Amino acid sequence: MTCAEAATAFQRDWLKTLRTKIRNGEDYAFVNADTPHELFHFMDVPMVTNQWWSAVISAKQLAPHYFDFMEEYGLHSHLPRYSSLPLVAQIEGDTDRQPWGGLPSPALLCARQSSDEHGRIFQRWSDLTGAPLHLLSAPAVVDPVPNWWEAARDDWETLYGTARLDLMVSEMQDLITALEKLTGRRFDEDKFATYMAKIDRQEKVLEDIAHMIATAPQVPMRISEQMPNVMIPQWHRGTDWALAHVEAFRDEVGERINAGLAECPGEQIRMMWIGAGLWFDTSFYRAFEDSHGAIFAWSMYLPFAADGYIREDKGDPLRALAARVSAMNEQLHQPPWVNAWMVEQAKRFRIDVALMLIPEHDRFSGYGSLFAKQALEAAGVRVIEVWSDMVDPREWNREAVTAEVGTALDDYLREVA
Amino acid sequence: MEAAAEMYQAFRERADGVALGAQPLVGLFGDGIPEALVSASDARPVDVKAPPLADGRGGPIFPAVSAVVERFMDDFATRFLHRLAAGAFDKFDLIVFARDDVAALTAYQYAQELRRQGAIPDQTPRFHLWNFIHTDSDAAEAFNRLELDRLTQTLCEVSGTTLCQDTLAEAVKTEKVRATILDQFDVHDAETFVWRNAGRWMTAGRHVELLREIPVKASEQDNRRIGLVGTACDLPVLHEVCGSFGTVVADLQPYGQVWPANNSGPEDTVGMLRHLARYPLHIRTNPPGRYTDMLIEKLAGCDLVVSSVDRNDDSFGWEVPVLRQRLAATGTTVVDLGFRPFRPGPDWIETAREAIQEALQ
Repeated sequence: MTCAEAATAFQRDWLKTLRTKIRNGEDYAFVNADTPHELFHFMDVPMVTNQWWSAVISAKQLAPHYFDFMEEYGLHSHLPRYSSLPLVAQIEGDTDRQPWGGLPSPALLCARQSSDEHGRIFQRWSDLTGAPLHLLSAPAVVDPVPNWWEAARDDWETLYGTARLDLMVSEMQDLITALEKLTGRRFDEDKFATYMAKIDRQEKVLEDIAHMIATAPQVPMRISEQMPNVMIPQWHRGTDWALAHVEAFRDEVGERINAGLAECPGEQIRMMWIGAGLWFDTSFYRAFEDSHGAIFAWSMYLPFAADGYIREDKGDPLRALAARVSAMNEQLHQPPWVNAWMVEQAKRFRIDVALMLIPEHDRFSGYGSLFAKQALEAAGVRVIEVWSDMVDPREWNREAVTAEVGTALDDYLREVA
Repeated sequence: MEAAAEMYQAFRERADGVALGAQPLVGLFGDGIPEALVSASDARPVDVKAPPLADGRGGPIFPAVSAVVERFMDDFATRFLHRLAAGAFDKFDLIVFARDDVAALTAYQYAQELRRQGAIPDQTPRFHLWNFIHTDSDAAEAFNRLELDRLTQTLCEVSGTTLCQDTLAEAVKTEKVRATILDQFDVHDAETFVWRNAGRWMTAGRHVELLREIPVKASEQDNRRIGLVGTACDLPVLHEVCGSFGTVVADLQPYGQVWPANNSGPEDTVGMLRHLARYPLHIRTNPPGRYTDMLIEKLAGCDLVVSSVDRNDDSFGWEVPVLRQRLAATGTTVVDLGFRPFRPGPDWIETAREAIQEALQ
């Protein structure tokens, strides 16, 4: 896709600039994926996301070295890996081995305590680098309603709870104070409201695209092309470039659908990829197109842009941001949220088969998997479990998994014939 | 029945051995719930996280639970869910889950979802999530106060009473008496582990009575001083293993810390909340460095520290290299036993013994 190339090129240039800034000693923040990135963007503080950096290290096939080192260093082999890879690389200390020649010390660290390892990983980053640590609390939603996405846009106060939102707003205000101190700039609430409104516009365009792909007769693009077209503008959400990009993306998807383009001409099976990316082997997503006419129509990144991000500001954009962040990750991994959303999405995208990534050592991301499996099966979707880490290929046996999935798809085709 | 035997029985039978009496039973899943608050609400707090010892030999397995429990789930949570489905907690009016306990949030969410789907009976006990956060900012305190109000309201609904400060102060005093007695046990051997933890399944008052009948043990000064660290283990396995190498003087694992009564604090609710929020040995203490510093402080003077974790540990493992580095400076040896099975067998115990022996040579 033209758009995917454009997004990738933009990101490449942007990262080059970021890298130069960081190498030249400009302050930057190192943050977890489920923190309020909007505050860093808005305050113009360059930011490296822990899980993105983890995916970069993994894509460069460096993960085995670091995970071997992790155990030699005395960290046990069952600790979560996705979030820990950058820290392990930092501890190992050979910056020549790392992408970009490694990361210098950040000026600020920020994580949400949504999972047990996050606080500890970021505490170790702080110990190593001396950077101040901001940990955001993550109390649970006590009585979660299954269909969270219906209330999340405009009734988020009820959905996420006033006390939780008060706490998140207060902790974000502390973070804003730290960012003001770091940059010497004042946080302008009016301009922040405009910025947040632009993000909502962007997410609504992505929602339109999700609808177009869900209702198209055949899948017009691979998820490997969806991902850069969604994840890169999401990284830059609220900027003019991001809004323009998603609009161009929408137009290109529309053109493809109108032209009757099918990415997998012999399409027989529509699949969903459940979980984060298989970052060390992304070509796996195409493994069943030729053999079974099976193509992934769905990965979470596109539909989550709408359901996970659009929050009516109600005259209080900071609180709306708290609503966006306060259960961001949990919605993707905890019952009843994950099972209910997966079923809704599977129906919407007319899914036949789901491949479910279950990472044994990233337990936070793995919990809720079997509830989701059960719910999808009850809704008529065939579910194939793929037990693998997202960034650690040491136990990944592509040949064996391909054979296993292939057999399951053969069975499916026989049954529906 | 003599005191020690009664405590052994309570320790062995756990929640199954607690009879429903005049007071409603309130199950506690995870440390971090102020037991005095439950007692002061005219209810009886009972640990439901640790299963009875007999559960390890053929406890219930429910297909509806097996179908949704991932193989990496915490064993305490898994066993709780099977037992819940089997009706082990039907006599309870309420179960309170401490969100910050490493296993409790998952146990709560899975129990809720199983019930919502009709896979387990939609009757008693009622579930309550104690959503406490271990941060001592003003915002956190405001949040925790609301959590306290919510818990108090639930407890009062269950017991049909209202909480008054005098009753609470009285309950806290009893907890403090218990804590004072437990503090005198500066040996953490298998026997004291049982006596200490037996209190999880009896009233504070009865526990105090029984503890008073037990002679206090003091550590032998010339013995090797050993510290235990790691994730929750509800059995005195390592105490038995370490007994042949020296005296366990610091047991900082969740079932080994000064318990019960570590959650009581001052006699008023706000003081109690602040005490809980600042309690440094909670694994979710924020910032986590506070936990590390307290571990080091409590392990001062140990000659040997033995660490072991659950296979599903997300937290404690990050402490081990730091402990090793910082304790090396004081001449303390750290032995990392790695993963400890939920119910360790003779092979694991022998391997642990050999690892400690080797480290000491």
